[in-house]
Amino acid sequence: MGSNRLSNNLRRLRFDNGQITQRQLADRVGVTRQTIIAIESGKYAPSLPLAFRIAQTFEVSIETVFQYENEDS
Amino acid sequence: MSRLQKAAWFNLGMSTIFVIISIPGLYFLARVNAKGVEYLLTCFIVVCVITPVFYVFYRKKSFEAGFDEREKMINKRAFTCSVVGLTIFLGCVCLIPFFVLGGQNVIKVFYLPLIFISALFAAQFIQSAAILIQCLLEEEDGQ
Repeated sequence: MGSNRLSNNLRRLRFDNGQITQRQLADRVGVTRQTIIAIESGKYAPSLPLAFRIAQTFEVSIETVFQYENEDS
Repeated sequence: MSRLQKAAWFNLGMSTIFVIISIPGLYFLARVNAKGVEYLLTCFIVVCVITPVFYVFYRKKSFEAGFDEREKMINKRAFTCSVVGLTIFLGCVCLIPFFVLGGQNVIKVFYLPLIFISALFAAQFIQSAAILIQCLLEEEDGQ
């Protein structure tokens, strides 16, 4: 059975969008800074609404922020 | 330190205070063998004990309103840990005397409220510890 992994470009997007801090992003999407840290490091997979909110913050599609990798495919 | 960690430390502290207050009170009641009218005294002590507990739950509820989805998930996992821990604790507390003393022996009534208070403390301690450990593990790679 293959493993699934959710990777993201959060760090790059933060720096490409005026170097916003984790705190600022957290405030914009309504979560704690610790949650942004956990998402960036791949330790926490956000819910779909939160993923959309993050994508909307950067004005990009959700696929630009998050990539789903399935080793089976 | 996040709000969740602060809440965990707060609950841990309050439950410790709860035990520190209630155990000597209980010991005193047992020594004077309180019953009947003396329950008035018991009620007074119970109020003194329960008030901080209500405060803990009240604070917890207000804290939870500000939790995000990851913190709620951590809280849920911690609650599961606390239920499992509480079951194991109660199992040990009830079964060990049974096996050690035998089925036909007797224990003092004093031990019943003591078991209750210990169970409350154990549940709160396990939940708070589980929250703090999960936060610590997640923050290891944090910045």
